[in-house]
This record gives sequence, structure tokens and C-alpha cells, in this order.
Amino acid sequence: MVTLTTSDNESFVVDKDVAERSVLIKNMLEDVGENDHPIPLPNVSASVLKKVLEYCEHHRGEPIPTADADSSDDTRKRTTDIGEWDQRFISVDQEMLFEIILAANYLDIKSLLDVGCKTVANMIKGKTPEEIRKLFNIVNDFTPEEEAQIKKENEWAEG
Amino acid sequence: MAHSTSLASMPPASADLSTTWAFLEEGVDHIMTRLKDGVSYQKYMALYTVAYNYCTSSRMHGSLDHSMLGGRTGANLMGSDLYNHLIRYFNSHLVVLRDTSEPLADEPLLRYYAGEWDRYTTGANYVNRLFTYLNRHWVKREKDEGRKGVYNVYTLSLVQWKSYLFEPVQSKNKKLANAVLRLIESQRNGQTIDSGLVKKVIDSFVSLGLDEADTNKANFDVYKAHFEIPFIEATSEHYAIESKTFLAENSVSAYMKKAEDRLREEEDRVERYLSTTTRKTLLSKCEERLIADHKDILIADFQNLLDYDKDEDLQRMYSLLSRIQDGLEPLRSKFEEHVKASGLNAVSKVIPEGGIDGLEPKTYVDALLEVHKKNADTVNRSFRGEAGFVASLDRACKDFVNKNGATGTSTTKSPELLAKHADALLRKNNKLSEEGDLEDALNQVMILFKYIEDKDVFQTFYSTKLSKRLIHGVSASEESEASMISKLKEACGFEYTNKLQRMFTDMSLSKDLTQQFKEKQESLPDPEDISFSVMVLGTNFWPLAPPTHSFNIPEDLSKTYERFQRYYQQKHSGRKLTWLWNYSKNELRTNYLNQKYILMTSTYQTAVLVQYNDNDTLSLDELIAATNLPKDTMLQILSVLVKAKILINEEQDQYDLNPNFKSKKIRVNLNQPIKAEVKAEASEVLKSVDEDRKYVIQATIVRIMKARKTMKNQPLIAEVTVQLSQRFTPKIPDIKKAIETLLEKEYIERAEEKDTFNYVA
Repeated sequence: MVTLTTSDNESFVVDKDVAERSVLIKNMLEDVGENDHPIPLPNVSASVLKKVLEYCEHHRGEPIPTADADSSDDTRKRTTDIGEWDQRFISVDQEMLFEIILAANYLDIKSLLDVGCKTVANMIKGKTPEEIRKLFNIVNDFTPEEEAQIKKENEWAEG
Repeated sequence: MAHSTSLASMPPASADLSTTWAFLEEGVDHIMTRLKDGVSYQKYMALYTVAYNYCTSSRMHGSLDHSMLGGRTGANLMGSDLYNHLIRYFNSHLVVLRDTSEPLADEPLLRYYAGEWDRYTTGANYVNRLFTYLNRHWVKREKDEGRKGVYNVYTLSLVQWKSYLFEPVQSKNKKLANAVLRLIESQRNGQTIDSGLVKKVIDSFVSLGLDEADTNKANFDVYKAHFEIPFIEATSEHYAIESKTFLAENSVSAYMKKAEDRLREEEDRVERYLSTTTRKTLLSKCEERLIADHKDILIADFQNLLDYDKDEDLQRMYSLLSRIQDGLEPLRSKFEEHVKASGLNAVSKVIPEGGIDGLEPKTYVDALLEVHKKNADTVNRSFRGEAGFVASLDRACKDFVNKNGATGTSTTKSPELLAKHADALLRKNNKLSEEGDLEDALNQVMILFKYIEDKDVFQTFYSTKLSKRLIHGVSASEESEASMISKLKEACGFEYTNKLQRMFTDMSLSKDLTQQFKEKQESLPDPEDISFSVMVLGTNFWPLAPPTHSFNIPEDLSKTYERFQRYYQQKHSGRKLTWLWNYSKNELRTNYLNQKYILMTSTYQTAVLVQYNDNDTLSLDELIAATNLPKDTMLQILSVLVKAKILINEEQDQYDLNPNFKSKKIRVNLNQPIKAEVKAEASEVLKSVDEDRKYVIQATIVRIMKARKTMKNQPLIAEVTVQLSQRFTPKIPDIKKAIETLLEKEYIERAEEKDTFNYVA
């Protein structure tokens, strides 16, 4: 068992193999060696870690993709398919979604990062720039001339 | 606690580069120089987080909330800042190490180098993981975009080691490599060295070979250039001198031991501290210096080793020379010569002074076998049964088995003697105690049989001898006869042993026939007072010739003779019985002496002796008249009887029954072959072989021509020779003669084209 301490000072005690879904934690335990001290995670809050651990718990025991697998694994990049459980898991509000993505990036949990990014991609798919700006609360800072230019350049991708 | 402060003193995500790097540098330096003091979870996480935060922060694009989608350019710059700081850190760290190494040389230098290498690479592995985020994003993108000279942090540390420590040290007279080479040299000279140290240094050379395109791929450029090439050179020089000096002062046998040891040592060296990629180059260089350079000296000693049966040295010479190109070929041909000479020598030793007529088949066969066995053992033991040496042995054996001092130019002598030896083995009175010994001895016969060229000569002698064994009932065991025949069948095929097998069939049929005839006789009103057994043998399968002269069947036998004749004609009408009186035998009881004897006689002897039932004295002419035997045969018969003292020949051409005949044995065997017959037999056999061959050659030609329809002279002769080589080696004039005969008989005809024949259907 290892103890994880969040940025808001809450502690989670989890099985080692669950914690090691995070390549960061796995590497550190390997390098430093195991002891009774808690592992501080200064970039993750309790509410997010709880979600992340739920994911890790569910996927424990599955093989962890290696660092350079992404370049060769095209299907992983292309498909926007998300498993049934993962889809239910990631059905959270937008803020939590981004928090999970950031945590997965920080903790180096490749599969969770994929689920997050694919979800965002699915949200964008089929929407106009204006709709996307509205969805993510982005202010349009292009001049009309700039916008026309970009539209022209991206004509090939339309339709 | 110092550790918890590191988390608290962690700079915020928005901290600037100098604050961030100051924090990171302290941690990196701790890991690179004081790792043995340990690292806490807090410190590790703090360093990771700070590096991560710095890379992901996007000061250029404002708030963290939107960095996910917009921070690319920022991350680029951030990454390169940290990367450049790492480069500078490694450099300054390495310059210190280099300066410290400056005054060191040889083993102390290697110790220092290896120790620092260990510490440095362990630390760099840690740092590499702390900067995982940098590797995963910034470094990866740079590399994907094709920028050269950007590596992940661990590889970067090696690149820096190579340029700021390894190369500067090496540039001073190859200080590192030469120190390693000197250690190896002293180990070759018998001193103990720290192999672990050498291994560490050499391993570092391998690690420093970096493949720009794929850092996971091993690249031996550095190892090769800085170590392998000078090492191979030094090795070559070392063994060139050592081998020359050693050979000048020691025997070849001692040298071979030394060379073997050296090769083993070098192989161990690869295992112990070199890259396995060096194995081939190193060993082939050693083989060149230790073996190939002195090949001629080794080969020159080969005969000597064979002569004195130095098995161990032979084995050593074989295994050494087998390692170099074309090393074994000279040994193989020398060995062949040696075996041939041994065989000829062994035969000439057993030829009796009186000439080869007195040569016992067993003595001859044993002499051949001994040479074969001894050299076959040498092949198996010293040359590991290698196919080339087996072939040499076979060629040599074939040579001396067929042509040697005992055979002269005749190729038929060896098969004759071998068949006679087999006959002696298969006879009842062989001197072998156990069944297994006989089987062994027969297997030995087969060893030589394999080498016999004229297998048809063996076949003919063998069947003649077999027929005698069967007729006279002197075969040692039916099982052994069968075993021998199956061995011959295995070697030469069904056709070769067909006749032999038929002879056994005739024997068992004859046994039944005798029994049936006997039963029939006993059921008749006036049975004969003669016990009679008969063998009816197929003319085609038995090499037996009927008598060429006339003969009066003695009265006492004629009744039985006629009865059997009738009985057989009834049973198989149309079959012709030819009576082989010359192979028949009888047992006679004497009534004219005090002691009753049983005389075991040939039928011709019987015919003579029964004449004395009515007379005590008979003249030669009277005997000839009574028996109708030719005079010279009669004289031979009489001379045996006179010699046995049954008859007395005191006056010219007059023979009296000896009334005072005495013998220690009750059963007196008078039925001994006549000398002239024995000699005649061998030439008879050879004549029949020659006769057979004519037909076999003709039959083979016809078979070939039938298949090919048209053939030229030369290829036809070649084909005939190949097809017959299993049985015998046909002589070319014999083949030509057979072709002539077939032309005459119009089986084939000359085609229009020169030297060509057509098959005539």
C-alpha cells in the first residue's frame, strides 16, 4: 500500500499496483525505493485524484503502454472510440474534464490522457468555429481579414 | 527536516527561469554527486513537479485554464531553457572530473574512470526520469521535427561524457585504451588482473557508441575505433612472437597444447569482459597467428603422431586445423596414404614363406580387419568421425582390401578368401564359443564385404561354400546362416541373395520328401534294409555339377535308387532327376573283421568296396570294369583307400582287402576331398563368375538400350559401369565384347551416326 497526499492535504491509501498506473509514481518508487512516507502530489487536488484513482482501480492489471508506443500505434491516434465504462466515467462537467486531463498528463497515465483528449475531440467534431468558441468560452481575437484568410487556407478541410 | 522543506521551498509554477533552475540545479547536483545520501519522496516529487510546471506553464498566453489548447510555442521555449541548463550543468561537472583524472595513468586512471562512470550514469538515469516531461514533449517534438543533436536527457549525459571526458582523456596518447591493453597484456603474461574493472571500462566504450537515428540501437563505433582495432592489433603481435618463440623451444605436441589453451583463454576473455561482437574477429586473428602461420610444421608432424598412436595429439591437431580454411585437407590425404600403407604392410606380414597358397583365410581377414578397426577407431576418437576422414578411410580400405601383396593384380582373391573365411565361421566346428561371437564375426565380414569390388565373385564362392555346408550338414546354425544372408541382402539387395535363399527352401523340402518316401517304403511289403535320405536341389540355384563320366550304380543301391526314381516321377511327372554321385555318401558296416567298424564313404568308394564282398583280391582293370569309373578317378579313390589301410596295394595294379585293418575309432571317415578337386573348385568358381559376368554385362546393355533407344558408345560404357559397380567393376574390353556379341545377335544395331547404337525391338 502507498499513501498519496494531495495539494489540499488529503491522504489516499491505495494498492501499489493501482498507484503504479501512474508512470511517474512507478518510476519514483523504482528509483527511490519504497518506504512508509506519503507521496506528495502537489499538482493534484483531492476531488480530481479521487476520480483518477477510480479510473486506475478499474483498469488495474492492464498492460501499460510504453513511452514510445504512441508514434507507432496509429489506431490509437485516429480512433475516437472510447470504451463504454470509460465513456460513463468521463461524463463529467467541463472543468472536471480538463482537470482530469491535466492530472493524467502530470501523473503520466497515457490511457487516461487519451480518454480525456478523445472526449474533447468528440465535443469539437462537427461544430463551427463560433460554436466551439461558445463551448469553450473563447474570445474571438481574429480581425475579419485574418478570419477570411484562415477560412481560405482551410477550404480543403471543409465539408 | 531538510526534505520537507524542499517541497515547501518549491518555486511556484509561475516562477522565472533563474529561480526555477536554481531549485532544480541543487537537486540535480545532489543526485549526480551525493546520491548515496538518498532522495526523499518529497524531494523527488518537488523536482519533478517544478520541471513539469516550468514546461507546461505558458507565460506567453496568460492563464493556465487555456494552456491546454494554446501553449505549444511556449512549451517549446521553456523546454529548450531547461535543456540548455542541463547541458551546461553536465559540462561543468565533467570538466571537474577531467581535471581530477589529469595526473592519473594506467590502473589508477581506470579505477577512477570506472568509479566515476558508475556514479555518473546512475545519477543520469535518475535525472532522466525527473525530466520525463521534458523528454516526452520538448525533446520528442524537436526530434520529430528532425533537429539533430537533441537527445533525451540520459543520452545527452552520455554525449556530454564522450565529448568532455572520454575524448579529451583518450586524445592524450590513447590513455584509456592503452591502459586497458596493458592490463590485458599482463594478464596474457600470467598476471592476475581485475577483470571487473576492465569490463566496466570496456562496457562504457560500448555505451558511448550512439546511433543518431535510433538511440536504442547498439552502435559499436566508439568501441571499435578506440578499443577493438588496437586490441586486435596487439593480440596479433603478441601471438606472432609468442608462437614463434614457443615452437623454437618446444615440441609440436607441446605447442598444440599451448595453442589450445591460448584459444580457450581468448574465448574466456570475450565472455569475461569484451563485447561478444569481438569474438569472431579476435578468434580468427588468433587462429591465424597460432595455427595458420604454423600449419606446415603441424602437418609435417602428423605422420609421426599416427605412427606412434598419439591419440590425444591427433585429436588436438584435428581440432586446431579444423578451425582454419583448408586445414584438414592435407591431413585427410595423408591419413588415406597411411591407412593404405598400413593395410599393405599388414598383409605382406601374414603371407607365408611358401607363397599365398598357404595363407589361411582367417589370418588374411583378421589382418585386414585389424587395420580397418584401428584406423576407424582413430577416425572416431581423434577426428570426431568427420565425414572427410571417413571417406579417406573408406577409399584407403577399398584400395588395400582389393589389391595387396596377397592378391597381386587379381581382384578375385580377396572375395574368395573372405567367402572362405565366412564359410569357416559358419561351419559346425568353428572355434567360436558363443552365438554372439559368431554374429560379431559375421558383422566383421560385412565390414570388409562393403569394400569388396567384385561382389559377384564373393557371391559365387559363398554359394558354393553354402551348398557344401548344406549338403554335408555341417552348418553351425540355421539362425546364423539366415542372419548372414539378411546382411548380404541389406547390402546388395534381394537379387543378390535370391539363390541363397532358394537353397534353404530346397533343403527343407528335401527333408519332407525324405520323410514321406520313408513312410511310403515302410508301408510296402518288402522294405529295404537301407536307410536312405535324399536332397532334391534345383539346378538353377545350386552351383553343383553332375559327374562328367559314366558310373555303374552298385547293385546294393540300385533297388533304392529305382524305387525313389519311380516315387518321384509319380509325384512330379516331367521333372528330370540328375543324380550327383560325386556328392553322395554312404555308411558301410564291416562284417569281415573282429571289430565291427562303420566306414563313412563316398558313393564311388562304396562302389569299389562292395566289390570286395565277393572277392579278396581285385586288379585295377577288374575294378574299373565293375564300376565303369574312369581310370584316373579310380586311381585317386584307390589311393585314399590304400592310405587308410582298408586296401593293400603290394603288387602293381592289384588291390587286396586288408584282413588286419585296425582303427582307434569305430566310425572311420574315408570321405575326404581329393586335393586336385579342391584346387579345381576355385578355378571352376572363377570360370563360372566370368561366364556369369558376360551375361550380366549383356543383360545390362540390353536393359539400358531398351530404355534409351539410342546411345553413343562412351556414355553406354559409362552407364554400364555405374550400374554394375554394385556387383563388380566390369573391364572395358569385356563391355566392348558384349556390345559386339549383341550386334551379332541383333539386339542392337549401329546407327548412321558414328559410334552410336540403336536398340532393335
